[in-house]
Amino acid sequence: MTTSSAGVLIEARGLTKHYDGFSLEGVDLAVGEGEVVGLVGQNGAGKSTTIKALLGLIGVDGGEGFVLGTPSEDLARPAGAATKERVGVVFDTVSLPGHLRVSDVGRIYSCAYASWDAGGFSRLTRELGLAAEKAVKDLSRGMGMKLSLACALSHGPQVLILDEATAGLDPMARDEALERLRDFVAEPGHAILMSSHITSDLERIADRIVCMDAGRIVFDLPREAITDEAGIARCRAADLERVAASGIVPELRYLRNDYGVDVLVPDRFAFAESFPDIPCDRMTIDDYMALTLKGGVRQ
Amino acid sequence: MKRAYLIELAIFRDYGTQLLGLGLLVAVLISVGMQTALAAPAVLSCMFFMMGAMGAAAYDEQSGWGLFRLTMPLSRRDVVLGRYGAIVTLGLGGMAAGVAVALVLGAAASAGLLPGGLSETFRLDADLMRVMALVTAFCLLIGATVASVVTPVYFRLGQTKATQLLPTVIVMLFVLPVVFLGNSGLLDGGLPGLELVSRLLDLLGTAQGTALGCAAMVALSAALLCVSAALSLRLYETREL
Repeated sequence: MTTSSAGVLIEARGLTKHYDGFSLEGVDLAVGEGEVVGLVGQNGAGKSTTIKALLGLIGVDGGEGFVLGTPSEDLARPAGAATKERVGVVFDTVSLPGHLRVSDVGRIYSCAYASWDAGGFSRLTRELGLAAEKAVKDLSRGMGMKLSLACALSHGPQVLILDEATAGLDPMARDEALERLRDFVAEPGHAILMSSHITSDLERIADRIVCMDAGRIVFDLPREAITDEAGIARCRAADLERVAASGIVPELRYLRNDYGVDVLVPDRFAFAESFPDIPCDRMTIDDYMALTLKGGVRQ
Repeated sequence: MKRAYLIELAIFRDYGTQLLGLGLLVAVLISVGMQTALAAPAVLSCMFFMMGAMGAAAYDEQSGWGLFRLTMPLSRRDVVLGRYGAIVTLGLGGMAAGVAVALVLGAAASAGLLPGGLSETFRLDADLMRVMALVTAFCLLIGATVASVVTPVYFRLGQTKATQLLPTVIVMLFVLPVVFLGNSGLLDGGLPGLELVSRLLDLLGTAQGTALGCAAMVALSAALLCVSAALSLRLYETREL
């Protein structure tokens, strides 16, 4: 049996899973200590399937996954229990029977986790405005996600695996949640893998962005390479030919719109020096995804 | 397994409390209706075993709990064994509640506290207690059998699909054999071994026979649940959630 790479807390190597009409195709992914990795992609791209495969919730047809050095397939077995003690998980909905009250949820987690911090959970739920007597089914989506985050953070996890965990949170609650996640990952030996459609959250917290499409990894880049270094050049049709001819952008990705052509520029500062007459804006993760997934390519 | 069992009980708590209240009401009504407290423990044992098995499965599909539970330090094996532990706990809890109702009614009857001649009908003596034990053990066996049949189906198919399929399974397993036997005329004296059954029933009428019969039915219930749990383990291990 192979082992995970040194310093890597979450790892996927060639994860493959076939369903009718969808396949996860050889997904490679690594989350190192101290890292926040954001997993992005369209609905149905394979993000949740990757997370489930990593957690050992579904069997895979090929490849292997590791969480804290434990093979994903072992996580479903009794041997994986000790590792799962150190993994906090949040799915995109409150994954608990609706009749339970917030205090019951604490009781259930205390049964499940030896390291459960009941005092910490009470404090956190109070801070997040979650009444102990409120039933899960009566919580709004945002409050439900707060409860899920409080649960994930209250059993002393070493890694957090979050699937759309900030969905439904209002901007202030998202700020608060991101602040807590930042504090969490600042602790030695911690890491976060989070899938999200709210890419502005990832721009604020992620160290690396991994984009998936149709079950494959499309890009895996440091966040700064997208939001700090890359740019989006607002070209006219004639500019596009000029930029292509210059060779400054080796693989030219572009997206036509009503006003011209947007071009993905890996180094916007170098581009601005070469083409001072072409406006070049900062890149967002959304723009980068759109250009990569929907844009045309010129060599 | 202990963690999964405790989680099941924590989830069951509200349902169990409601079931207990309902069960106590059913026990009293049946006792008054039948003019005897004999059936109370039997009916409640059977009812709690069945409702425990079916009620527990309903929670698995709420909000993806069945899948999320496996992100906790629990294996699929823990989940299955915890579920059977909870079903047995609920079934035995029902039996205890029924026994309590019967004993309270019996004690009240002995003290002459019940109105309208009920004290005479609800009085318990050694013979009645023996019959009550036998009937309870038999209904425990029925409840355990139903739980043993439905639980693997729930684990394999999930509650939604299983609920669509189970009525057919129940009819095939429990109703059709009786219909076929009835139509074949075997029950009118032609069934081989009826004499042995008759001798067994005579034996059950004795104190020793009652103890033996109860022990055998409890052992058979336990064996059925063990076989069912082993089957559930195999089915749930390979289920794609």
